[in-house]
Amino acid sequence: MNVALFVTCLADHYFADSAADAVRLLRHLGCTVTFPDAQTCCGQPAYNAGRNPEAVRMARHTIEVFEGADAVIVPSGSCATMVKKFYPRLVGEATALADRTWELGEFIVHRLGVTALGDGLAGRRVAIHQGCHALRELRLESEPEVLLEGAGAEVVPWEADDECCGFGGLFSVKMSAVSAAMADRKLDTLPPVDWVVSGDGGCVLHLKGRSRARRLGIEFVHLATALWRGVAGDGGTTARKLAAPLAQPAAAPAARDR
Amino acid sequence: MSTARAGSRERILSRVARATAGRERTLHPGCLGTPVAADPVAEFVKRFTGQGGEVVEGEGTQSAAVWLTGFLRGLDKEVTGVAVGADVPAELRPQLPVVAAAHAGAGISVAWAAVAETGSLILPSTGTRAVQLLPPVHIVWVPEGRVFARLEEALRELPDELPATVGLHSAPSKSADIGQTVVTGVHGPGRCIAVLA
Amino acid sequence: MRTRINEYTARATQAIRSEPEVRESVTGATLAFDRKRRDAYTEVDADEWRRWAEAVKNHTLTHLDDYLTQAEERLEANGVQVHWAADAAEARDIVTTIADDGLVATAVKGKSMLTEEIDLNPALEAVGIEVLETDLGEYILQLLGEPPSHILGPAIHKSLQQVRDLFADRLGSAPDGDPDALAEAARHVLRDAFIHADMGITGGNFLVAETGTVALIENEGNIRLTTSLPRVHVALVGIEKLLPRMTDLAGFLQLTARAATGQPIGCFVSLIQGPATQPGDDGPEEVHVVLVDNGRTDVLAHPHAWEALRCLRCGACLNACPVYRQTGGHAYGYVYSGPIGSVLDPGLLGLHEAMPLPFASSLCGACFDACPVRIPIPELLLEWRREAQDQGLTPWKERAALAGLASVATRPGLYKLAGRIGARLGGTGAARALPMLGEWARERALPKPSRRTFRELWREGIE
Ligand code: SF4
Repeated sequence: MNVALFVTCLADHYFADSAADAVRLLRHLGCTVTFPDAQTCCGQPAYNAGRNPEAVRMARHTIEVFEGADAVIVPSGSCATMVKKFYPRLVGEATALADRTWELGEFIVHRLGVTALGDGLAGRRVAIHQGCHALRELRLESEPEVLLEGAGAEVVPWEADDECCGFGGLFSVKMSAVSAAMADRKLDTLPPVDWVVSGDGGCVLHLKGRSRARRLGIEFVHLATALWRGVAGDGGTTARKLAAPLAQPAAAPAARDR
Repeated sequence: MSTARAGSRERILSRVARATAGRERTLHPGCLGTPVAADPVAEFVKRFTGQGGEVVEGEGTQSAAVWLTGFLRGLDKEVTGVAVGADVPAELRPQLPVVAAAHAGAGISVAWAAVAETGSLILPSTGTRAVQLLPPVHIVWVPEGRVFARLEEALRELPDELPATVGLHSAPSKSADIGQTVVTGVHGPGRCIAVLA
Repeated sequence: MRTRINEYTARATQAIRSEPEVRESVTGATLAFDRKRRDAYTEVDADEWRRWAEAVKNHTLTHLDDYLTQAEERLEANGVQVHWAADAAEARDIVTTIADDGLVATAVKGKSMLTEEIDLNPALEAVGIEVLETDLGEYILQLLGEPPSHILGPAIHKSLQQVRDLFADRLGSAPDGDPDALAEAARHVLRDAFIHADMGITGGNFLVAETGTVALIENEGNIRLTTSLPRVHVALVGIEKLLPRMTDLAGFLQLTARAATGQPIGCFVSLIQGPATQPGDDGPEEVHVVLVDNGRTDVLAHPHAWEALRCLRCGACLNACPVYRQTGGHAYGYVYSGPIGSVLDPGLLGLHEAMPLPFASSLCGACFDACPVRIPIPELLLEWRREAQDQGLTPWKERAALAGLASVATRPGLYKLAGRIGARLGGTGAARALPMLGEWARERALPKPSRRTFRELWREGIE
């Protein structure tokens, strides 16, 4: 199956390794992955701030970039929501793209029909942070748990797993203290686990930033990386390969440069 | 009689009309179909006791007054006087002095009906409100065959000439306003006992 | 009511930093309410109930003038005196005049957010009437001189110990009293007030047009007493509280209770038709209904915000809201706080007056899932944000940054260049490039950009 990766600006710059893991995972599951080079940001920062003209421009750009892709995979629940739910509110012609766009975990479970990934996470105790948009807009509730268990992990219940971490983009800047208190509620209720896993980079940046400021030593892992470790073996493959200079792949990815 | 300061009534109504002028006028969706309990009496008992009410079953009117006298004697705090609602028949009155509601150890009322799905007693104000509200214990007779499965049915069946107030009592008086701890009997009765005839 | 909404950010920050006990009480109480609400929703077909309730309210609000006149007609036929108040001053004036005409010296009140909204108590006190709040939570706050912090549980921000100290000081109760003993102390004072009050003042949860019935929901029984013992009863009802039919109440009474506290129905419901005229009835001689606008027709006229008028004031959205939970209601600076406050206040008071509430949300959507009448709160927040942007009510730096983002994001070449620069600069460098992040960084460690962007990894080849 041919899929185009919409890496999202956040993953491009802050979770590059996890985005690479998403590519590995998709390839492992039999997909041919392309990366349209002209892609940028989905426009959610502008949309959430109420700046619709800017959001419309970014939506139009993204729609154009992914025109013709069979399936667009987004390693972020929030950005997937922007494309699937909010683009159609902004731009009439957005539904075609919305229908073909998937959040990474959603795609694996519901489109590929895969839940067993391997046992690379055997012995790992993980807690899941549910991103709000994935949970309440896309109604993806059980998918991360199913996949992580399908990768061998033990998912530990967390009373605040479905509560907002307080990121909310601009919100965390404008109402910084409230946002930090929200993060604290999450961090203070966390059971002892090896990792906190989330499919949303924004939430991870925020929670991790707060955790580091408080020196809590909690480890956060993006869902794509966690799942890839389930396939490739925990710790080994990804870390080693990324540490070493990357060899040119045999078949260069057919980037759909425009 | 109606008062309207400086034409406020007309001003409000015309503002409402203007505000909704261009809007699509949607239809009333009709009735909400809530589930019908197979055994309304059992459902009433479950709901009413689930909320902290108490139920006594199968006391026919003949033995009712006797049961009631015994029950009142058995209370921790001795009852020396009761308040009795205006519509309580003679055979349901206990053999105790009748006093003003504010001083009574218990109030006796007759419900117009009960509702299973919400565990509610329907009390008309003609049954004397003070009796329903002031004594620490409220005992309510539910006449035979007067348990509706659904609240909607009960409201539909209310008499055309409605009493000034209809009260639905579904539990003893409760509050969680002090430190989020539930306390009973804050203002109204701390015990509410439904007696099913 | 004078608002302090504009101070939201500062007051919220202050509350979080210096009143940790408020955060603890509010978090505990709201999480418990929310859990009960969820359980109560699962017990029934909540989805269907909520859609039904939304449809009834939409129907009512799009036929509101008809239902208002029908209700007025029925109320008058029942012997109720109907008054119309365009704004808060008129509403206060109407109530003080009723009190004056009825030679009222003391009044007892049931919990009513509308009376808080119109600042009724000070107006009554100014003409020499003694007013006592009888809802236990409101009574606590009246003793403290504080406004309510939650539309359903006004005193949820107070701990047991705080109430203990207050009652020991003001009512002479034991300094180590348990909640039962404290409630008993309050009951003692309030019971006396009920019996002697001349006037009872309440709000109204619903007003049924076809029968002229004011419906009131409660758990304590104080509203039943307030509407039964005094000679005069005045109900202040917002014009959006109409329902067409008596049978509609069946669904709404149940849904409201499930949403608010997870109960199947409130412990007490009063369905009030009018003054006591039938034999055996010992209720009030006079009943007045005051229909209050005070900004509601402005909200109704708004192309989007009118949906907020479906609100039942159940408080479920506050309980579900992780933002509200950190501070309680006081930080919001107005009687309607939390998610519903953030979408209703701009409509009632004007957007400028209600800034920055539309921005006081992470848009997590928990409020919509909780709301029994499906008010699309996150969408309405976005709508108000758009209007704030259009009216230039947001900081210019923010507007410039977002315009900049759009310019970069629609020019892939520029975007890639900016990304590479960010990666080379590292965390602090990136923060310096984005001055807005200063505050963020005070409470969080700045994120470290990946050493190479994904785009670079892709070009090099991912194995
Ligand atoms: S907005 Fe909805 S959830 Fe919030 S108080 Fe109103 S009815 Fe309840």
